[in-house]
Amino acid sequence: MPADRISGLVFLVLGVVMLTIIIPEFVETAEGGVIQPATLPALLSWVMAGCGAWMVLRPSGFDSHLHLPAGASVRSAALYAAVLGGAVLLMGELGFLFVAPGLALVIMLMIGERRWAWLGAGVVAVPAAIWGFALLLGRPLL
Amino acid sequence: MPELATILAGLGDAFSPLNFAFVIFGVVLGQFVGAVPGIGPVMAMAIAIPFTFGLDTLPAIAFLIGVNKGGLVGGAIPAVLMNTPGTPDAAATALDGFPLARRGKPLKATKMALFSSVSGDLFSDIVLITVSAPLAILALRMGPVEIVALMIFAFSVLSGLVGKSPVKGVIAAALGLLLACVGSDPENYTPRLIFGVWSLYDGLPLPSVAIGMLAISEILRRLSLAACPVAAAIEISASGDPADRRVSWAEYWACRFVLLRGAVTGTLLGALPGIGSTAAAFISYALTKAAAPDPSSFGKGNIKGITAAESANSSVVGANLIPLLTLGIPGSVSAALIVSAFMIHGLQPGPLLFENQGRLVYGLFGAMLMANFVNLWVGQLGLRLWVRVMAAPQSIIFSAALLMCITGVGMASGGVFGVMLMLGFAALGYLLSAFGYPVVIVIIALFLGPRLEVSVAQSLALTNGDLTRIANHPVAIALLILSGVAAVYLSRRGRRAADHEIGQATNRNTDQDNGQTER
Repeated sequence: MPADRISGLVFLVLGVVMLTIIIPEFVETAEGGVIQPATLPALLSWVMAGCGAWMVLRPSGFDSHLHLPAGASVRSAALYAAVLGGAVLLMGELGFLFVAPGLALVIMLMIGERRWAWLGAGVVAVPAAIWGFALLLGRPLL
Repeated sequence: MPELATILAGLGDAFSPLNFAFVIFGVVLGQFVGAVPGIGPVMAMAIAIPFTFGLDTLPAIAFLIGVNKGGLVGGAIPAVLMNTPGTPDAAATALDGFPLARRGKPLKATKMALFSSVSGDLFSDIVLITVSAPLAILALRMGPVEIVALMIFAFSVLSGLVGKSPVKGVIAAALGLLLACVGSDPENYTPRLIFGVWSLYDGLPLPSVAIGMLAISEILRRLSLAACPVAAAIEISASGDPADRRVSWAEYWACRFVLLRGAVTGTLLGALPGIGSTAAAFISYALTKAAAPDPSSFGKGNIKGITAAESANSSVVGANLIPLLTLGIPGSVSAALIVSAFMIHGLQPGPLLFENQGRLVYGLFGAMLMANFVNLWVGQLGLRLWVRVMAAPQSIIFSAALLMCITGVGMASGGVFGVMLMLGFAALGYLLSAFGYPVVIVIIALFLGPRLEVSVAQSLALTNGDLTRIANHPVAIALLILSGVAAVYLSRRGRRAADHEIGQATNRNTDQDNGQTER
């Protein structure tokens, strides 16, 4: 299946869901004003659904086999994203200083770094430099 | 037009020691990240923006301009020495730069790239400084009807030019505008699409969206493809002849028309929204090759090939700011990021900036001019250092970049919620890019969305909802006609490009099948 047909279908469904469920449920109506709060989101949803339908019917040469990343790299990206998400949640609880070195270590090990000097630089020097810079700016870290 | 005293005060601000220090810092950082394949100036700017939060406005923007300008110079170094452009803009530079380096003249090739880049950049900055104030005066005479028409024109050009499919461009614009609807609606201030999350009442934070979609998604993509933690080491094996290590004045002067052609091409294309420096570099290269008496020498180390590419790609930087400063419309990713920096500092880019913040604008122009000369100076001194930088392990570069994105967005958008939003938009950016949707249009639309909605409401109020009254606005009619022409022309062009791609893919598949059959 061409990649355009898949993404077109996603945008077609998104547009329809916006028009039938999300906009009626999550956009309030107002009495005054020239345009209603729902007008622009509804118009844009129609555009998305229409263009999505167009892509389902007339997909271009954007073929999934030629362009989409392989399953392994998608899984790898998802794993990195999950590690980042977990680390950010932990930072919210424990703070940047306690979590950042661990996050740097995990990311570097996942990339394949095994040299102690570089690991040390990534785990100690980089978070310390960021912490110092934030201190200099007078801004709170996570 | 700002008064002379304002202009001089702005230039005085630009040349203050603090500002000078930030320009140097920005250029050094830009050349550094440009030299590292994988981290470009766009990603560096995205990461650096939140860190400018604690700075005054002018040093902050001057620093980002320095990063952008330095990045273009830095990107040419791996293109010439490794045949691996540090930035997409430098791909055309590699066509002649790498063959020249292999012929034992790596220093001549990199120095010519540096001189051409600085010359082109200086040209476009002068054009920006000369034309932007008069254009801003014209822009201020535009009413809401003209602004709506102008935005429709900008989106029709952006949708057609950025990416290969205009339909995808339209979807990206619609998605960005829809994301801009999150928050309170600008007329009645009722909550809209916030799903009960009151942190979203002020809208989606631009740094979270921009950094997530541009920087984090790109880092995730690269990390998922990374095969080894260490880049290949570089060796410069220059010939013993001193003439091969420098660019003489005669050589530079011989390239003057190529330089001028590249600078004019880059400036003209850069002033239009959507045409990036990569396209400018290749167009200038093609024009130079076509005009040359010896076109067969291109691709084999002709110094004019380097000049054509570098002067064009660097001249886009200044020109990109023309639509931003005069109309408030960012025409490129870098300009969209500079918008984020303006907004973090409570400023709205557009024609009123000249009236309300004239001193700042001329300070910015002064900083841009200064950055060019700093680029030349740092480029000359730092060449050998950047060669070492190219061999830095990706493991430390990417882990540091991720930590800086998290910290920066956390500082700019108020904590864990903004960072989680950034990760969500990183996933969205990753998927959109994978399916060929232009992410930059989403970000530009997100920025322009509220202004578009307000202008539409004002236009409807002005015309009493009667569309025939647009006849009283000839500029708007002209822009709408141009939008229609651009949409038709660019969609046909997109369809031809798609058909061409299908043809090539089919031929490749057929060749592969034949090869397998023969084996």
